[in-house]
Amino acid sequence: MNTLVAFLTMVIFPGGLFLLFVGMMYEWLDRKLVARFQNRIGPRWFQPIADNVKLLAKEEVLPEGVHPQLFYVLPVIALSGALTAALYVPMFGFEPATSFNGDLIATIYLLSLLTLSMGLAGANTLDRYSLVGATRTLTQLFSYEAPFLLALLGPALIAESWQIGEINDYARDHWFILTQPIGFVVALIGLMGKLELPPFDAPEAETEIVAGAMTEYSGRGLALFHLGKGVELVIGLSLVAAFYLGGLANPIDFVVKTVLLLGFLASVQALMTRLRIDQTVGLWWRYGALLVLTQYLVVIIVEGTIA
Amino acid sequence: MATHNPTQKAPERETFKIPIGPQHPALKEPGHFEFAVDGETVTDATVRLGYVHRGIEKGVESRTWIQGQYLVERVCGICSHVHATTYCLAVEKLAGVEAPPRAQAIRSLVAELERIHSHMLWLGVAAHEAGFDMLFMYSWRDRETVMNLLEGITGNRVNYSANILGGVKCDITPEQDAAIRAGVDYLEERTRHYLDVVQNDTMFMRRTKNVGTMTREQAEQMGVVGPTARASGVPRDIRVDAPYAAYKDFPVNVITETAGDLHARFVVRVNELFETFRLIRAILDHLPEGDLQTRVKRKIPAGETIMRIEAPRGELFYYVKSAGGETPDRVKIRTPTLPNMASVLELAVGHQLADMPMILTGIDPCFSCNDRMITVRDTHSNQRDVWTWDQLRKYGMNAAQ
Repeated sequence: MNTLVAFLTMVIFPGGLFLLFVGMMYEWLDRKLVARFQNRIGPRWFQPIADNVKLLAKEEVLPEGVHPQLFYVLPVIALSGALTAALYVPMFGFEPATSFNGDLIATIYLLSLLTLSMGLAGANTLDRYSLVGATRTLTQLFSYEAPFLLALLGPALIAESWQIGEINDYARDHWFILTQPIGFVVALIGLMGKLELPPFDAPEAETEIVAGAMTEYSGRGLALFHLGKGVELVIGLSLVAAFYLGGLANPIDFVVKTVLLLGFLASVQALMTRLRIDQTVGLWWRYGALLVLTQYLVVIIVEGTIA
Repeated sequence: MATHNPTQKAPERETFKIPIGPQHPALKEPGHFEFAVDGETVTDATVRLGYVHRGIEKGVESRTWIQGQYLVERVCGICSHVHATTYCLAVEKLAGVEAPPRAQAIRSLVAELERIHSHMLWLGVAAHEAGFDMLFMYSWRDRETVMNLLEGITGNRVNYSANILGGVKCDITPEQDAAIRAGVDYLEERTRHYLDVVQNDTMFMRRTKNVGTMTREQAEQMGVVGPTARASGVPRDIRVDAPYAAYKDFPVNVITETAGDLHARFVVRVNELFETFRLIRAILDHLPEGDLQTRVKRKIPAGETIMRIEAPRGELFYYVKSAGGETPDRVKIRTPTLPNMASVLELAVGHQLADMPMILTGIDPCFSCNDRMITVRDTHSNQRDVWTWDQLRKYGMNAAQ
C-alpha cells in the first residue's frame, strides 16, 4: 500500500503529470499576462498543452554531425532533473514528498541540470546559432547561479537548517521578505535568469541567433525541454514563495503567492529591453553578487548581536 | 566544435561566421549577411543582396506612362507614395506641365502622413530587434491611426495611388480635414511618450547609446542619406535642398543630432515626427484652392530628366528617359537603402553580435526596394557569373518547360 501511495505521489499527484499540467498553466498565465501588458490578446488557456501535444506527436529530426545518444538523452535528463527537484519542495503547499538534511543544495543543482543540458545540447550540434546560444547559456549559468544560491541560503542561515521543508515551516511565522529584501529581489531575478525570461533571454535572442541552443531541436526533444522549463518555473516560484513570502501552508496559499510572483515576473518581462550577454554577466557579478553578500554580512552581524 | 561524423573535416583555425539571412527571424526581408565573429565580437561583415529583384525597371519600359506609375508605386510596400510622386514629378517635368498648387499640397500632405507611418513602423521594428517588444506593440498599435487616415483620404491602406500624371485623384474634404487633425493630435501625444521612452529608458539606452557611432566625416565620406545622415549631424534633406511639390510654400526645419549613434538615430526619427505633425497642420491650414489635375498628353516629348525627393528613409532618386513615345525608354530608380547599406558593414566591425540586428535596422533598410540585380554565384567554387539578357531569357524559358 505504501509503495502504491509513493508511486502515485511521484507519477500522478502532486508530482509527475499534475506538475507538468500546472507548469503549462503557469506558462500560459505568463504569456497571457505579458500579452495583455503589451496590448495584445494573448494565447487561449490550452495553448501550451496544444503546443506540447503537437510537438510530442511530431517527427524528431536528428541533425547531421551530432552525437545521437546525447541528442536524445539530454532533454530527458533536463526534464527528469526538474521533476526530481519537485520531490524536495513543498509543492502546492503540501509537505515535501521526501527530504534529507541538505536537500536545498541538491534541489538547486537538480534545477541547474536543465540549463546544463541545454548548454550541452547546443554544443552537441554543428549549427552556428546553437553554438553561440550554448556559449551564452553556459555563460549565463555561471553568472546567475552563485547569486541565486546565495539568495536562497539567506533564509536557511536564519532558520538554521538546510532542509527545504524545515525552512518552509520556520518561514511561516517569519516573512523573510521584510528582513532580507535584497535576497528576495536577487532570488526572483535569478529565477528569471535561470528560465531565460526577458530581459535575460540573450541565450535565445530570436533576432540574433534564432532560438539559441534549441535551434536544432524539434519534436519530442523540444517538447521535453519546454515542459522542463514549465516545471522549473513552478518549482522556482514555490521556492521563492516558501522562503521569502511566509512559507506555503496549503494549496490556496500556494496559488495566491506564486501567482503574485508570476505577475511581478511578467511585468518585468514586458518592461525591460533585452540585455546583451556581457551586460548580463556584468549585472550579476557587479551588483547581484555584491548586494547579496552585503545582505549576508548584515544578517550575520545582526544574528551575532542578538545571540 | 564537437564533430562525431568522421567524414566531416576537422575545421582549421578559421574565422567563425554567423550567417544572418536570407531567412532569419531578425530580417523579415531577404538579404544575406555574414558576420565573422571572435567570441561575441564581430571582426568582419559582408552583405549579399538581390534576393528580391523583381525587374520593375524593365517592367516599366514595356508599359505606358500611366501604367508605369502604378508599377513603381509597388517598388516599396511602406513608402509607396513617394515612388509614385517622384515618377509623376519627373514625367510632368518631361511633358512640360505642372500640377496645380492644390494637387502639389495634397501630394506633400500624403507624403508626410506616409512619413509618420514609416517612422512609427521603424520605431517598432528597431525596438523589437533590441528585445523591447512593449514599444514594438504600442507603436504599431498607434500606427493604425495614420493608416486609417490614409485609407480615409485615398481609399487604400498601403499602395495609396493618390497620384495621377498631372495631379492627384483625391481631395481633402472638411470632414477629412477634421479627421486628420484629430488623428495627428492623438499621434503627437503618443509620440511625446515615445520620445520620453527613447531618451530616458535606462535599459533601452544601454542598447542604443554609443552603439554604431558614425562620425560626420564618415557619414559624408560614405554618402549616407536621410535620417541616418542627419543623426550624424549632416543637414541633408531634399525637401530643403531642392524643394519639390509644395515644400517651397511649406518650408521644413531640418532635424539633426550630432552624436551619430543608434540613440541619435532614434531621437532624430522621433523628432522628425513632430516636424511632420507641424507640417501637416500647416498644409491643412493653408491648403490652396483650385483644380486637382492638369491634362498630360499620352505621348511624352523625347528627353531625359532626374528627380529627387526625400523619402522617409532618405533621398530617392529617379532617372526617366523618353524617346517621345507612349512608353518610357528607361527608368532608373535608386532607393535610399543602397547608399546607407555600406555604412552597416563599416559600423559592424568591433561591435557585439547582439548589436548587429540593431545596427542594421538603424538605417531602416528596405531590401526589396533596393534590389536591382542578381549575381549568380556558384557556392562551391565561389565564382560569380554575370548573365546577359539573352542567357537569362533562355534560362527562364528552359525552367518554364
